[in-house]
Amino acid sequence: MAKLLNADVVKQIEDAFAPMKEAVQLLYFGKKANCDYCADTQQLLEELAPISDKLSLDIYDLEADADVAEKFSVDKAPGIVIAAKDGDAVSDFGIRYAGIPSGHEFTSLIQDILLVSGRDSGLSQDTRDFLKNLTEPVLMQVFVTPT
Amino acid sequence: MVQAEMVEAMEFQALSSKHNVSGVPQTTINDGAANVVGAVPESNMLAELKRITGK
Repeated sequence: MAKLLNADVVKQIEDAFAPMKEAVQLLYFGKKANCDYCADTQQLLEELAPISDKLSLDIYDLEADADVAEKFSVDKAPGIVIAAKDGDAVSDFGIRYAGIPSGHEFTSLIQDILLVSGRDSGLSQDTRDFLKNLTEPVLMQVFVTPT
Repeated sequence: MVQAEMVEAMEFQALSSKHNVSGVPQTTINDGAANVVGAVPESNMLAELKRITGK
């Protein structure tokens, strides 16, 4: 199977990941049927994870691991959760990808991994205050197209 | 309490149609309570969130 990430790209990612201090856990959810991009997404993450020892990857099936999918509110495949890992504990920061992260979205994936590693949202004080007072769940879905 | 999900529109066409996605990025909040088209500054997004949550 040909690699999705060539040596140059791997080196760039290595450099981007070098400053990572805290560990990040990726959870991948695939399904066997009717998922055109599942195989490629899984392969992409399997090539990505070993680039940093601060990055871990667990592979799940949306149907066979329905309990895990429900725990992480994942209902679409391919699905990716980018979570914080502290020792054995995984903390959900609410970051999800539905669909293959190709093109610009691959850069977003790298940046999100770094964001979670930094353990800080980088948001303004106004936004932080709003979030502190939030009492109901909010779902933000950003629709993108592959470029 | 906030979940932020990237949704690849081509792979999830039914969901994209449901929310009338044409220009991307489109940020659909709480299943259609608000829709923000384009890459907007944080303050714009915050204003929408405040509007729909009444906070």
